[in-house]
Amino acid sequence: MINAITPSRELRDTCAIVGTATSKLGKVPGVSSLDLLMDAIRNALDDAGLKASDIDGVLCRGPDESYSHHQLLAERLGINARFSTTLTNGGASQIMSVALAVMAIRFGLANTIVCGFGRDTWSRTHASEEARVRNETRPESMLAREFGPEYGYFGATAAHAFGATRHMHLYGTTRDDFGEIAVAFREHALRNPDASMKKPLSIEDYHAGRLIVAPFGIYDCSLRSDAAGAVIVTSAARAKDLKKPPVLIKGFGFQNNTRGWFADDNMVVTAAKQAGEAAYAMAGLGPKDVDTAQIYDCFTYMVLTQLEDYGFCKKGEGGAFVSSGALRLGGALPCNTSGGQLSEAHCEGMLQIVEGVRQMRHLYPENRQVKDAEIALISGHGGNQVCHSTLILGRA
Amino acid sequence: MSDLVPKPKPRPAPESLPYWQAAREHRLALPKCEDCQKSWFPPSRTCPHCLSTKFSFENVSGKGKIFSFVTFHRVYRPAFTADVPYVVALIELDEGPRLLSNIMGVTHDQVKCEMRVEVVFDDYDEDISIPKFKLV
Repeated sequence: MINAITPSRELRDTCAIVGTATSKLGKVPGVSSLDLLMDAIRNALDDAGLKASDIDGVLCRGPDESYSHHQLLAERLGINARFSTTLTNGGASQIMSVALAVMAIRFGLANTIVCGFGRDTWSRTHASEEARVRNETRPESMLAREFGPEYGYFGATAAHAFGATRHMHLYGTTRDDFGEIAVAFREHALRNPDASMKKPLSIEDYHAGRLIVAPFGIYDCSLRSDAAGAVIVTSAARAKDLKKPPVLIKGFGFQNNTRGWFADDNMVVTAAKQAGEAAYAMAGLGPKDVDTAQIYDCFTYMVLTQLEDYGFCKKGEGGAFVSSGALRLGGALPCNTSGGQLSEAHCEGMLQIVEGVRQMRHLYPENRQVKDAEIALISGHGGNQVCHSTLILGRA
Repeated sequence: MSDLVPKPKPRPAPESLPYWQAAREHRLALPKCEDCQKSWFPPSRTCPHCLSTKFSFENVSGKGKIFSFVTFHRVYRPAFTADVPYVVALIELDEGPRLLSNIMGVTHDQVKCEMRVEVVFDDYDEDISIPKFKLV
């Protein structure tokens, strides 16, 4: 058994997020993922009142096939970087880049670091019939060699659906519970003029949606989006003089259940549990202190199980918790208040960070602001379903 | 259309070749550690339980239970057009290891976690037979 860890509180509140922005979200044909990310970074610099020459660090994640993505990005930014690298933990990378930025700044390796992620997934897979066909008829050489494709097993939807089935079996969780998550986040998206999804969604619409990989239907699945987001991290001391209210980085934590999604109980008790415990310990906070959660919602079920793993309710009680209306603006724990990956746009966790920052600034109109919110918890999830990161932000 | 497009054929990695050779003979065989006596899957040259490299492929019972399952409705590859909806399950063998496979001849509503299953072999061609499962 591995010894317990004691995350240092030395990093707490030493750094702040001082700028944040997105690119245009949803369907942005004709723009590469790199240029979408550049749009987000330019907007974030403007948001912070900084110039590219103020940036001396770049932390990002590129498309899987790119090499040294941070180098491509810094070249377009026209800067040399003191501290830059590309992360490869899937949707858990974006929070990890913020954490790395804090460590680098705290230990004097850089002053001001931009963290970002961009993708052009809608354009690559859905913008044209040709793109669709290319996506669905990828050569066999690009599939797993064995133990999956021969059974017709493909994709992240099925992997996460295994967790949903198991949770339903163990705890009596229902598709009505999953549906409430989709419906709540859609309602939040309708308040967000930048969100992709513009039409209301009812629980009847949810159940009428076609099945993709049961138990998941179309409304359990996140969007395929063109989207980018960026945040700028600097020391809390430097943050005081900038344009917008700084948002303090209070804690972070990580866990990768690298024994596998199909091993042990990992599909039901996710890596959010240990990542959350580490982040809470660093921040000196617990689930009761959290006013809003921005949860990695690749699929409805993943929200429900992470809320349990983060201690907002007991394991197995996630269905009742979400169906109480807790996740809605005005509820006990307003969640994914910009619409999330299910209804705003899917940017692999980057927009969760952006929204967490915005909620902590208290600059939203009343109908989007979580009232009196002081602490936001943000999650990132990815890799082959087992990489997890947690970020806790607070009002300065 | 599905008759024209073949389903993906397993391309055994070097370490899993004995698994597929056994399957061709309609035997389910997994690596078993000669030191700690535990089996594992997918095949690899090091026991993930104790890191011993002393192992051999040994027949297992082919019996187990369904840990979880899903049903594909969407056609991800044209070769599966005629198959949807089909069930893919994570099977926990009585010997411990878990593996993915299809449950043959069932619909989603007929399957539950913990149901007992046993292996059947589906001959892909003269080189490859694919282990699948049925309810018992």
